Amino acid sequence: MTVSAAFRLDLGDLHLDLSLDIAAGEVVALLGPNGAGKTTVLRALAGLQGIDTGRLTVAGDVVDDPEAGVFRPAERRPVGVVFQDYLLFPHLTVLENVAFGPRSRGTAKGEARSEARRWLDRVGIADLADAKPRAISGGQAQRTALARALATSPELLLLDEPLAALDAGTRATVRRDLRRYLDDFGGATVLVTHDALDAIALADRVVILEAGAVTQAGTIDEITTRPRTSYVADLIGVNLLRGDAQGTTVTLDSHQGEVTIAERTEGPVLLLIRPHSIGLYRQRPEGSARNRWQGEITGFDLLGDRVRVRLGGAIPLVAEVTPAAVAEMRLVEGESVWATVKATDITAYAR
Amino acid sequence: MTTARRRPPIAVVAVAAVAVAFFALPLIGLLQRASWSTFGHDLNTSQSREALRLSLVCSLSATALSILFGMPLAWVLARIAFPGRALVRGLVLLPLVLPPVVGGVALLSAFSNNGLLIKPLNQFLAQHTDWHIQLTFTTAGAVLAETFVALPFFVITVEAALRTMDRRYEDVAATLGADRWTVFRRVTLPAILPSVIAGSVLAWARALGEFGATITFAGNIIGRTQTLPLAVYLALEGNPDVAIALSLVLLGVSLIVIVSLRDRWLERS
Amino acid sequence: MRRSLTVTLAVILSLGFVASGCSSSKQADTATTGTTVSSAAPVTGTITVSAAASLTGAFGTIKDDFVKANPGATVTINFGSSGTLETQIESGAPADVAAFADEATMKKLSDKQLLAAPAQIFATNQLVIVTKPGNPKGIKTLADLATAGTISLCADTAPCGKYASQILQGAGVTIPTSSVTQGQDVKTTLAAVTDGDAVAGIVYVTDAQAAGAKVDTVEIPTAQNAVAKYPIAVLKATTSSALADAFMAYVLGPEGQAVLKAAGFQAP
Repeated sequence: MTVSAAFRLDLGDLHLDLSLDIAAGEVVALLGPNGAGKTTVLRALAGLQGIDTGRLTVAGDVVDDPEAGVFRPAERRPVGVVFQDYLLFPHLTVLENVAFGPRSRGTAKGEARSEARRWLDRVGIADLADAKPRAISGGQAQRTALARALATSPELLLLDEPLAALDAGTRATVRRDLRRYLDDFGGATVLVTHDALDAIALADRVVILEAGAVTQAGTIDEITTRPRTSYVADLIGVNLLRGDAQGTTVTLDSHQGEVTIAERTEGPVLLLIRPHSIGLYRQRPEGSARNRWQGEITGFDLLGDRVRVRLGGAIPLVAEVTPAAVAEMRLVEGESVWATVKATDITAYAR
Repeated sequence: MTTARRRPPIAVVAVAAVAVAFFALPLIGLLQRASWSTFGHDLNTSQSREALRLSLVCSLSATALSILFGMPLAWVLARIAFPGRALVRGLVLLPLVLPPVVGGVALLSAFSNNGLLIKPLNQFLAQHTDWHIQLTFTTAGAVLAETFVALPFFVITVEAALRTMDRRYEDVAATLGADRWTVFRRVTLPAILPSVIAGSVLAWARALGEFGATITFAGNIIGRTQTLPLAVYLALEGNPDVAIALSLVLLGVSLIVIVSLRDRWLERS
Repeated sequence: MRRSLTVTLAVILSLGFVASGCSSSKQADTATTGTTVSSAAPVTGTITVSAAASLTGAFGTIKDDFVKANPGATVTINFGSSGTLETQIESGAPADVAAFADEATMKKLSDKQLLAAPAQIFATNQLVIVTKPGNPKGIKTLADLATAGTISLCADTAPCGKYASQILQGAGVTIPTSSVTQGQDVKTTLAAVTDGDAVAGIVYVTDAQAAGAKVDTVEIPTAQNAVAKYPIAVLKATTSSALADAFMAYVLGPEGQAVLKAAGFQAP
């Protein structure tokens, strides 16, 4: 394992408890809401923050072990970081920024600059070598920051919200380019983000961090088919209910009702309902769907050719319908509608 | 988008004009009182030349010492949270509010031949060597007195800059492999450079004008410790023309430095 | 001398009566023309006395005694180098009486018509070498000062500086400039020896006496010494001439002279 981390860290209100192994060449996305501790994890891996108990190993060397009295500060770890907002040195040119790492490690000025030029070439901004950071665009700054971090030949690359500072249009292009560079990179990569798209596009594995603890970890596929927390469900955009199953009847934990599922199950379960499986009706529908609930429309989200209808009430849900359906039924915020779901459209799995 | 053109508020401008007059009138008065016919001669006496030379030498030395010792001190105060830090900061900034003569008396109690430090030091030296240290009545003593009052100016300016700078850049440099000294040299210093310059100028100006601590600690010896302010003070009694001529020199030099520096640093920010 | 003084006083007092009608907010002078100064009825008013620094101890006592004898009188004393005080008076600083340590400085005031009446000598003083207690450098003569270390002398703008220069020149002694620290009045000059690191200095006998055990003294042979004559005068600009005159008279009178003698001054 290039990176082996198992530690506890308390910082203010945050109580971080993490266990993470990353192999060379792997890209792990660290996803979570604000305040979950993602940046703190990065800082601990980078050596900008010490852990309280546990151990951190990078490329076979123990870099942080409080009990053994070992702590390698950032400048002595083979870790490269691309910071949020990039933080390019404002008083240095793009070239000097990228050459900073090699020069700090003892490379002569001329040689460091040649190396920097090679990196700028690789990320496609060789013509910006003499520009100052304030004169380049966001996308170019991101590439500079990446080249700067990679120029030190790190074993572990950390990216803190690498695309957050970009506007939507640039983000897509940069995301594609970033995928290429990460594929070429031989070390381990940890990518912190709050955007599921980033995780899907760039990562091999996803680790969900909520309030300092890992609530779910696995491949993208696993996460999206079996979300375990409301956060993940919201991220993917599916409905997640919690309940206790007795045969085909699930009593919801919120005591707001019962749900009928297709397969017989026993014990505590999570119920996954995809929004497009929910049918909306103005009047109480008759028919085979055994699950029928009433809810109040709290808002709409337009997603291309679909509309997400947010329902509040006893069982909060998000339904997905066509714009035509919305128009036809004259659905309006504040109005009461009926939602139905077929038992066969509900996926139930153990908690 | 240009801001709408409005007439400046009259009342505010009027009060500001009074303040300007407050500063301009004494200067104009000095210029008017000056004896221009004897100006060159007054400045060329050996006592005047010595005072000018000493002022330059001592103030520049004091500034250099202020930077040399002030930089690490500012760094420690800004970056290391140690118990009693507020007290230490208060101690270092004390000369800012202390009347300079009181500063001189304090310096005497520590660094005169009978002082807290010098007496035992000289006793020790006497046992093993032929040397002894005397700081009072020496140019070094004058430099010491000037440094005492000037260093706090440097520290207060630079410490503020160190506190308010964006420290994330230092983190960035660390992750790129820069050790602490490299971080300071290539990231921190460039970031605080305007404040370092401003602090140095302030310290230099304060050292140049220092009187009370110098005369009390270093004494008033022509060619050794009689800097311009001391020479002016003595000249005031019998030779007001010389006093005014020397004062104008001090004024002129200070004015030139401050005006030339202000533009440069205003432009930058 | 006493009689002419009384007559002078009488003339001044009558003038004062006339003048007081023109003065603004000062209290009216109430004084009778006594036969002898010392038994005059109490005088009231407020005066400022500009006195040479070497008079600090003596005039402090004289002021207290004078005010006790004249309740209702307020006396403020401004001590400094005679040169500084003279410059201040010339520039219009409010003073009623001036007492300097040399005649040349007083002459500057009289030349500018700033005195109400000619000044009178009220004391004389001599100079002495002072050293650190125990005289560690073993100074015995003026010549020793040239090689002893840092010597504290008054600046030439103060009378004690002029006297010191006079004495040293007369004795043919030159102290290198780099060894001389200049004080702007005699008290500062003395302080450089008592509290500072100066090894010796030349100050008045009265200052050495006032310093007591803080200094050792080395006498300057009478032949080489200077005699400082201290003049006192009432200033023309005074607004309380009766009180000013009374103060001057007190200094010249038996009580004042006794205090001065006790401080080490010699008779005028």
